[in-house]
Amino acid sequence: MSDLQTPEGGTPLVGPDPVYLQDPVLDATVRMVVELAAQVWVERERRITLETVLESRGLLTRQQLEAFKPTSVQTAALKEERNRFIEDVFKELRRIPVRQS
Amino acid sequence: MSSQPETMPALAQRADASYLDFVEGFREYILGKGADFEDRLNEELLAEEQRRGKKWQELEEIRAHVHGLPLGRLRDRLARTQQEMKWHTLKRSFEVQRQSLTAQLAHWDTRGPGRLELDPRFVYPPYVNVHFHLQPTGYYKDELSGYLYHYGTKVFFRGDNDHDELHAKLVARVPAPADGRVECILDLACSIGQSSTAFKRRFPSAEVTGVDYSAPMLRVAHRRAAVLGDDVTFAQRLVEDTGYADGQFDITFAFIVFHELPLRIIHETAREAARVTRKGGIFAIYDFTGTRDKSPFQRYHRWFDARHNGEPYSQDFCDCNLENILAENGFKVTAAPVGQRSGGAGYMSNWFATRE
Repeated sequence: MSDLQTPEGGTPLVGPDPVYLQDPVLDATVRMVVELAAQVWVERERRITLETVLESRGLLTRQQLEAFKPTSVQTAALKEERNRFIEDVFKELRRIPVRQS
Repeated sequence: MSSQPETMPALAQRADASYLDFVEGFREYILGKGADFEDRLNEELLAEEQRRGKKWQELEEIRAHVHGLPLGRLRDRLARTQQEMKWHTLKRSFEVQRQSLTAQLAHWDTRGPGRLELDPRFVYPPYVNVHFHLQPTGYYKDELSGYLYHYGTKVFFRGDNDHDELHAKLVARVPAPADGRVECILDLACSIGQSSTAFKRRFPSAEVTGVDYSAPMLRVAHRRAAVLGDDVTFAQRLVEDTGYADGQFDITFAFIVFHELPLRIIHETAREAARVTRKGGIFAIYDFTGTRDKSPFQRYHRWFDARHNGEPYSQDFCDCNLENILAENGFKVTAAPVGQRSGGAGYMSNWFATRE
């Protein structure tokens, strides 16, 4: 944890990756849990919106959703989204220092 | 539902808005009664006082005690995390729209109502080179800083800044000068100009000027005011050296400005406000409550916010006596806490000062 001091003094600022829980792995775990909660909410909000719109227009039934088979292009796009999701949640792993300072 | 035109910058995708909505709710949860960190930790600090048989004196004692509590450490982790999550997503969402957002600003730079006055010879003083609230690149180095700030403060104020609600409420509370004359108003460090437009709406015939050092903030301020149809001038000037005439303004205003200034500049700004505010005029300030009026946990939080949330000057501000500084510069002051929710009860006070 390095200190950053402004040219005019004041309280020294903490560096970019402060450790609060005495173990950087614990810090990363907490960050990942909160990130996961955010990602779950984003998906839930979208699903509720989508289902509401589709149902109100009579365009989709639950059975059709279950039976959906993506094309190869759709599969590639899904994989790209999946990778972005993994990066969003697990980018915290990169912030764990090899050695605790 | 507000009837005013939308000025909040659009996000790149719906998922970004959902994500930031989560962060806003999560922030409310950890700062408010959801996780109930503040009350529980403050009760523990008060109980520890009882056990020790003496009041907390030094901040270091409070800090050591909070850091010894797993709950205190977890609270700090979460407070930092929600801020990082907000900026990470906002930056990404605006980055993919950089070209269109930049073009949007350029489109409005020379259109009215209102006027944008940027100084091509402006030199940013070293003290402003801070990433306040962890905002990426700070307030002035990215041309999208104003947009980042606008959406960032929407999340920060948790429902009080979706349509300028907080600014309208605080501006409405500012007392007019006793003689009722309000022809010129100065909004110091106006950022994106939300208080400036609130003043224009409260005093439609007055000439309202907002000043700030940040060109990106001022460009958003001007665009925002023009979209709203409010005739306000936004000028790139320093709060401690505005360059306006002696006694030019009937009301001078500073909303959460002083805690982002080094102590030296606080004194200079008070002196400058005294110079440009006419006799009988009002200097109205909203800012963080002073240390002497804080609970033990609020004292801890001030230190945490200073060190871990990019507020290096805020501790010195809270430790200084603003009332005395204003009085030394020829103001008669009344000060009181602001009982509103944002930031938690007791975090903000007002100083309404009359120029003598």
